[in-house]
Amino acid sequence: MTAGAALDRLAAGEVGAVIAELDIGRAWLVDPVSGREGAGELVVRDGMIEAITWLEGDEAAGVDPGGIVVAPGFVDLHAHLREPGDEDAETIATGLAAAAHGGFTTVCAMPDTTPALDEPGVLARVRAAALASGSPIELLAHGAVTVGRAGEQLAALGELADAGVVGFTDDDAPIAMAAILRNALAYAGALGLPIVDHAEDRALTAGAEAHDGYVATVLGLRGWPAAAEESAVARDLAVLADVVRDVPGARLHLTHLSTAGALELVRRAKAAGLPVTCDVTPHHVALTDAWLAGSRSWAWDAGADPWTDGSAVAAPYDPGLRVNPPLRPAADAAACLAALVDGTADAVATDHAPHTSVDTDVEFGAAAPGISGLETALGLLLAAVDAGRLPLARVVAALTAGPGAILGGRSRRRSFGFVEGAPADLVVFDRSDRWTVTPEALASKGARSPLIGRELPGRVLLTVADGRLAFEDA
Amino acid sequence: MSVAEPMAAAGASASEPIVAPGTPEVDAAPETQSVPWSHRHLLDVDRLTADEIDLVMRTTDAMREVLARPIAKVPALRGRNVTILFYEASTRTRVSFEVAAKNLSADVVNIAAATSSVTKGESLVDTVRTIEALGADMLVMRHPASGAPYLAAEIFGGSVLNGGDGWHAHPTQALLDLYTIREHLPPVPAAPGEPSPALLAGRKVVILGDLLHSRVARSNIWTLTAAGADLWLCGPSTLLRGFEAWASRGAAGRRFTVTSDIDAALRDADVVMALRIQRERMASGLLPSLREYAARYGLTRTRLAAARPDVVVMHPGPMNEGVEIAPDVAAGPNSVISGQVTNGVAVRMALLYLLAGTRT
Amino acid sequence: MSGREIMTADEIRRATVRISHEIVEKQAGTAGLALVGIQRRGVPLAQRIAESIDEHEGVRLPVGALDITFYRDDLSMIAQQPVVKGTDLPFDLNGLTIVLVDDVLYTGRTIRAAMDALVDFGRPQAIRLAVLVDRGHRELPIRADHVGKNVPTSREEVVRVHLAETDGTDGVEIERAPAGYGAPTVEAVG
Repeated sequence: MTAGAALDRLAAGEVGAVIAELDIGRAWLVDPVSGREGAGELVVRDGMIEAITWLEGDEAAGVDPGGIVVAPGFVDLHAHLREPGDEDAETIATGLAAAAHGGFTTVCAMPDTTPALDEPGVLARVRAAALASGSPIELLAHGAVTVGRAGEQLAALGELADAGVVGFTDDDAPIAMAAILRNALAYAGALGLPIVDHAEDRALTAGAEAHDGYVATVLGLRGWPAAAEESAVARDLAVLADVVRDVPGARLHLTHLSTAGALELVRRAKAAGLPVTCDVTPHHVALTDAWLAGSRSWAWDAGADPWTDGSAVAAPYDPGLRVNPPLRPAADAAACLAALVDGTADAVATDHAPHTSVDTDVEFGAAAPGISGLETALGLLLAAVDAGRLPLARVVAALTAGPGAILGGRSRRRSFGFVEGAPADLVVFDRSDRWTVTPEALASKGARSPLIGRELPGRVLLTVADGRLAFEDA
Repeated sequence: MSVAEPMAAAGASASEPIVAPGTPEVDAAPETQSVPWSHRHLLDVDRLTADEIDLVMRTTDAMREVLARPIAKVPALRGRNVTILFYEASTRTRVSFEVAAKNLSADVVNIAAATSSVTKGESLVDTVRTIEALGADMLVMRHPASGAPYLAAEIFGGSVLNGGDGWHAHPTQALLDLYTIREHLPPVPAAPGEPSPALLAGRKVVILGDLLHSRVARSNIWTLTAAGADLWLCGPSTLLRGFEAWASRGAAGRRFTVTSDIDAALRDADVVMALRIQRERMASGLLPSLREYAARYGLTRTRLAAARPDVVVMHPGPMNEGVEIAPDVAAGPNSVISGQVTNGVAVRMALLYLLAGTRT
Repeated sequence: MSGREIMTADEIRRATVRISHEIVEKQAGTAGLALVGIQRRGVPLAQRIAESIDEHEGVRLPVGALDITFYRDDLSMIAQQPVVKGTDLPFDLNGLTIVLVDDVLYTGRTIRAAMDALVDFGRPQAIRLAVLVDRGHRELPIRADHVGKNVPTSREEVVRVHLAETDGTDGVEIERAPAGYGAPTVEAVG
């Protein structure tokens, strides 16, 4: 039976309900673990993947990657779910609903809550909220590196590790003191967990609003130099190189890298064997700082000058474009894309950062930085695939096996591919369909996105997490 | 605009009739006499065409004539409400707008944000909505955040006129600066049979000082290059940050020069515009001291000697005499600074008039 | 010309000369007179009348140009601001008899605006009106003292005056208004 017909059988399903039977026939399957993709069929029974069948020859005719695609459920290493402390912007319940809508079945929450997630009690609150939401999405969490994320004193890393965090970070603050970073890498390395750093030298970004370049100069916005990210990454790598001599298990993950310079440093560090991984966001791949001037071209289609190339179709200074790190010029976006292609970037992470309109319906300089990215991540990446800039298999890998490897066994999921007999974690999406991003269409509460009004390729039809229904397209 | 189109050489001096019948640029308007001005808001000068800038110049001529009358008032904006909302302290510009609106017989509400509920934390969006509900047809605003007028324009039903936003733009200042230059520099005559050259073709114009923080400079870059000037920006390198990249791309493709060498910049200049340097720039580490700035970049009589003898000296005000400009230069024969103030009222009258015509 | 010609260049010339004689006759001389042409075409007409008076009286009357744009009563109704052409009154109005000169008199609103503008400059002793064409359909109680030609028209018609100084040739034509013509213009305001 075709995927469409199989999905119809679920019409009456409730979120959280175990999938009794799901027959996906004649769809394009992508398995990032085995590396195999092609026409296939997949059967789920009582929440478990019962059978995966790859179709060959005549049977495979008429099935192509431009139609219905089935992938393992996506993994987001970096999402701000705002609860506890800022529930007006997002709650864990609405955040997980947004994740499911975006095809994510595993989400890692960031510890910049109020109170910060720097001791197991807060983690317990977060888990309780996830349970109460009834969502089957797997919610993991990072612990803070320092107490209160204040950057001065190590948090209870051991207790947090025992409680089950998947790593440590002070995001959205950098680990400013090199000595703290060094100690954290060593300590966490012995616990088998990575330090995740938001690489930013704040001395260079005080008051900064937009990437320090041509667009910011003309728009009169305070510049955010690429050097602020590059120098922080260089420092982090140097400290890591030092630490691994004593603690071979130390691991560093650099999140939301946005500059060509920083990605090149990671590329060389990996070639030299350093245990570093990194992720890029969908918005740093697809958008550029020209959007601040009113351009709405994808990064790979960007012209040379939004004031003369005709790409400025929207009003400038959209506060929804303010983000940390800032949107960069097309060359940096191209570097993020290239990093995904060659594997320098191990994963795509959304850095989902919702805000209420109080913080975003303001002048650009006062806008809270952040893009609600869980629901638009797939669409942005598929736009790159449609443009021939990124293979579909790489997108799936960057959203599943890539981040899965970084989670290193801390997820309930034993595999990030398709495994017969394992609970079903999968996403079914239709590449031949498109959807328009509107506040109503978004499940995220602080539905702030510069993509509102925009049509994106690919529509998520079904998300199954841990064998249970997470999202079904109406 | 991608090409600096020739601007009508409408450089009529004050002693000639402002318009002579039959002059091509006067009768350029089509028979229905509707105007090529279609902008509901004036937030920036980057998208003004050469024709539109010329229209502003000609309309300002008419407003200058009104200001010279015994009763310097016309009923053109009678029954309209102009609300002036300034989030930054500024007496001269705020009052200039108020005088301009009143000269057009508009009703004026003048809000200085420090005394309003803005200090109680009311957002810009809420303030604009309140102003609209109270009947404002036009909103003149100044705000410390670049881009703030665009936010206002999205929600305000009437016209928004940007009186200065952050570092970004100061459209009325750039237009009054151009008007002032036009008044003092006769246009280069056209060769027989050739169309009139651009208004500032062949003229070297220098903007000197703190470019980085200057919205006056950014807006002047657009208008001066559109008028065909050979534009130079000069200042200490820390205050030129980012402008080299812009200069090499050009303003809509029109290139200009950026340099820290003040002598090269001033050599043979026709116009020098000095910008205010602020004490805060030292505190933020951009400059060693104001004394050093004055010594290396201050516009003194000696430095000015490198320019043309009839060089026009300008300053958007308020001035730090003795820092960016020497007192004898500010008061000297080349200075047109006081004229800039008069022209400011006329230009603002012209813009209020043109914007008022676009209400739906 | 695309419409029907109702005055030739010669007829315009004769009417102008006649009007110039009438103006002097009404004033019983040239003392205390000044001409003010209403932009645009009233201005060259005023110049021609002044030249004619100079020829037959040997006196060059002062001539000014008046732009009534800012005084129009329909600014809030039209789609875009009209172009301002400029006012130049290089003499003191106080105590003078001002003869306003315009090409076409229609609804009378232009003349009302012109009078409002004039009194902002001073207090004339008297204001008179000379027009080349009076096409009727007054909406205000305004009448011309001197008329070149009375032309009965319907509201669907447009009267166009061409003068060498502004249009290259002399002539007056009348034609049906093109479809969609409805927005008030200076000609329609008359």
